[in-house]
Amino acid sequence: MTKQVDERIIRAENVDKIYPNGCHALKQVSLDIKRGEVVVIIGPSGSGKSTFLRTLNQLETISEGTIRIDDVSLTDKKTNINKVREEVGMVFQSFNLFPHKTALGNVMLSPVKVLKKSKKEADSEGRELLKRVGLAERMNNYPSHLSGGQQQRVAIARALAMMPKIMLFDEPTSALDPEMVGEVLDVMKSLASDGMTMVVVTHEMGFAREVADRVVFMEDGELVFEESPERFFESDNPRLQRFLGQVL
Amino acid sequence: MENKSHLLLWKGLFLLILVGLGFGIYASSKSIDYTWRWERIPQYIVSTEPTEIRAPFDGTAYVDDATNTITIESDMGLDPLIIKDFDEAMIYDGDLVFEGDAVAEQTGWTIGPITWGLWITLKLSVVSLVFAVIIGLFTGLARISHNPVLRYLAITYIELIRGTPLLVQIFIFYFFIGTVLSLDRFTAGVAALSVFTGAYIAEIVRSGIQSIHPGQMEAARSLGMNYVQAMVNVILPQAFKRTLPPMAGQFINLIKDSSLVSVISITDLTKAGREVVSSTFAPFEVWFTVALLYLVLTGALSWAIQYLEKRLSASD
Repeated sequence: MTKQVDERIIRAENVDKIYPNGCHALKQVSLDIKRGEVVVIIGPSGSGKSTFLRTLNQLETISEGTIRIDDVSLTDKKTNINKVREEVGMVFQSFNLFPHKTALGNVMLSPVKVLKKSKKEADSEGRELLKRVGLAERMNNYPSHLSGGQQQRVAIARALAMMPKIMLFDEPTSALDPEMVGEVLDVMKSLASDGMTMVVVTHEMGFAREVADRVVFMEDGELVFEESPERFFESDNPRLQRFLGQVL
Repeated sequence: MENKSHLLLWKGLFLLILVGLGFGIYASSKSIDYTWRWERIPQYIVSTEPTEIRAPFDGTAYVDDATNTITIESDMGLDPLIIKDFDEAMIYDGDLVFEGDAVAEQTGWTIGPITWGLWITLKLSVVSLVFAVIIGLFTGLARISHNPVLRYLAITYIELIRGTPLLVQIFIFYFFIGTVLSLDRFTAGVAALSVFTGAYIAEIVRSGIQSIHPGQMEAARSLGMNYVQAMVNVILPQAFKRTLPPMAGQFINLIKDSSLVSVISITDLTKAGREVVSSTFAPFEVWFTVALLYLVLTGALSWAIQYLEKRLSASD
């Protein structure tokens, strides 16, 4: 029993999400993710993959089912969701950097305000993280003076500053110009090789093939198919074939 | 080059129109036989007339030249009055004085009623502004709250205040609330002005917060911040910058609206103006002066906010 708890850091069981307008966004989605695993979720737009990702840190509440992060139930009323979120970093499609703060200010804000770290400590850690994502030269720039790729790398550093156990990526490269996709994917690859548990919603099939331990295909709010990348892309599942035929 | 000379031409025309307007005012005052007496105005701003010190009761005055003091002994056995701070005695040693007699003169500058009114207007505006911002901030937050009680209370307050005239509100605050809570007129005036302006600021705050992309709140929350931390550190600083221009307008309105409290006998700049008019019979000069002073206040404020906007634009 203890071994199981240790191994599966994310356990989603029969997750249902019905919006007040009646839209059934998630239908009985179950997914377990192990520590250090990189799971890539693909699927057509409107398939519920982003919604599912957002339920994992409760930016989206669920209607039915259970989600446990590191053995803490998110649906339990007694759970302090802010504590859980400290351990689950998230990177958004549209970066969502704080425009009134510099790159370093973005990275430092939460460690200082939430983890109550000293400014000095947060500053040196922030510089270290920005160096790690290759932005040592750009620390004092405001987001509006950074390219999309640079902004997304700051966003990754900002999430990492909270020392999360899990990183969620919601289409991190979809809003980027093609020439900037590589720099962001490189940062994500190095994170994966450092053993970070990652859940990535993306259309980058190359990334899925190269980095993922498991690829999940979702359609119409259902988890249709999950497999290792080698088998995934060879599969003859008709729904998957139809989707891959459109994107590849 | 051609463009530049055109620009000069237009600027010249603008000046010409201003001069024309000025002349128009002068000519129209001529047509009603108005005699301008600008020289009467300065003394109401800063007075150089000596002020008289008067005896508060009947008694005998003793002047001591050595120590430069006047002592007035009361006939009724009250505590003697000792005057030290004077420039010229107007009585002799041993004179009998009666209540209200001038006993000494004090020379030097004294603040005239218009300056005093300006100060009251400034004080009234600044104090009301502080309260209005606090009221507006919390009402604005309540207005977008998910809690129906807070939301409905905020909406009721905003609609009630925006739907009634400020003048009526001032009367209600002074005659009803002021009587019930025994507020002095200044407090009643400040309360009326801040409650009135607060309702408008609440709407500015609400629209400012709602104009911030929801992704900002999500990003802040995903980093483990609670709602209050996210508001204080992420949403409000951005909303603040965005709402500065409409806030400036509201603050300027507050300064101008403060003139209405003269109806409950607060001697602000407008009331001071009215009083000076009745003693100078120079209404044109006085009202132009008063208008100019309001313009100085609002101009300074609008300059300060522009300066702030420029400083905050570093992240644009």
